[in-house]
Amino acid sequence: MGGNQSIPKVTPQDRAVLDLKLQRDKLKQYQKKLQVILDREHEIAKANLAANRKDRAVIALRRRKYQQGLLSKTDGQLEKLEQLVSTIEFSLIEVSVLHGLKQGNDVLKEIHKEMNIESVEKLLDESHEAQAYQREIDEMLSSHLTLDDEDAVQAELRELQAESLQKAETRQPSNLPSVPKAEPTDTVADAETGESEREHERVPVPA
Amino acid sequence: MALSTHTTASGFLLPSIHSAPPFFTQQPNASTQSIVGEQWIRLILAYARHRNLFTLRIEDAETTGGDWDEILRNERIHRRLLPSHLSFLFSEMVSKNIAVYEPPKQTRSVLLYWRLPEEWAEVLHGWAISTAQLNTILTFYEITDPPIESPLTGIPVTILRRAITVLNKTGRAQIIGVADGEGVRFFAGT
Repeated sequence: MGGNQSIPKVTPQDRAVLDLKLQRDKLKQYQKKLQVILDREHEIAKANLAANRKDRAVIALRRRKYQQGLLSKTDGQLEKLEQLVSTIEFSLIEVSVLHGLKQGNDVLKEIHKEMNIESVEKLLDESHEAQAYQREIDEMLSSHLTLDDEDAVQAELRELQAESLQKAETRQPSNLPSVPKAEPTDTVADAETGESEREHERVPVPA
Repeated sequence: MALSTHTTASGFLLPSIHSAPPFFTQQPNASTQSIVGEQWIRLILAYARHRNLFTLRIEDAETTGGDWDEILRNERIHRRLLPSHLSFLFSEMVSKNIAVYEPPKQTRSVLLYWRLPEEWAEVLHGWAISTAQLNTILTFYEITDPPIESPLTGIPVTILRRAITVLNKTGRAQIIGVADGEGVRFFAGT
């Protein structure tokens, strides 16, 4: 049946937890009842005091004190029950965590069976050998080439180096002339500013 | 005769028809009575939803001081709903499936379905998810009387049970029974 399998079975632990929770509910209801009695006794005590019946008021208050003691005792019981309930729930979670760990462990063991250490070492050695072999072949091929053209390549390299050095030298002299240019531009600028000043003087007059 | 709406002490807005004296008498004309009945049913369900009340009894019309006084009586026009009229409304509601006689086989009190059990099932499931209580065992008392207010506070056990059976069919709840009582467990389901 494909329908009902999504609901897990009711285990005895579930029943135990339900039992505890029902007991806890009963305690809670008992506490509510006690609280109601407490309030009522309080009212009775007040009414009796108002009617000047001190002895009845004292009796009501004494009863109330006793109920308060009961209330705090049930509080203690309630706390113990709730602790037990939460411990049980926590241990159920722990059980499922352990179960998960165990399953993970089994899966890991299965994977390790396929991937044991000796075969890994063998694989690594084989790949090292293959790489070394490949390097030898490369050297043979490359040495084959450079035995013929090694000198020509070296000569080309020297030429290029000389070219780049020359380029650097020619660039430097182009920097030098800019320094003397600085002085003549100052005097020209002075002459220009002098003229503009005179122009400024002249401008307001026609207005 | 100016009909007006009126807001009650609990914050419920009464419709203007509630201030009309003929609203409270059972009409001999069938078509008028059908309108009156429909309006009464709508009013009763809306008030039940507002105050979170579930049961309505004939004696609520006979006596004062109950939860339904604001609806069944209108002191300003000195009218009240008669028990016979209320009984007629009960039979109407039961035939329309928005109420059931509870306890069954008598006609003096009904359980109001201002929310269908299917809708209650959704509310229940949503509450279980929002309080992170999926996959934990819950007692009925925990659901009807939670330490924190929920839309499910005070729900009658019969409605709760029907909602749980609805969820059971879709595989989202499971009832567990022990000698002392019953509990329920919710699942995420699909």
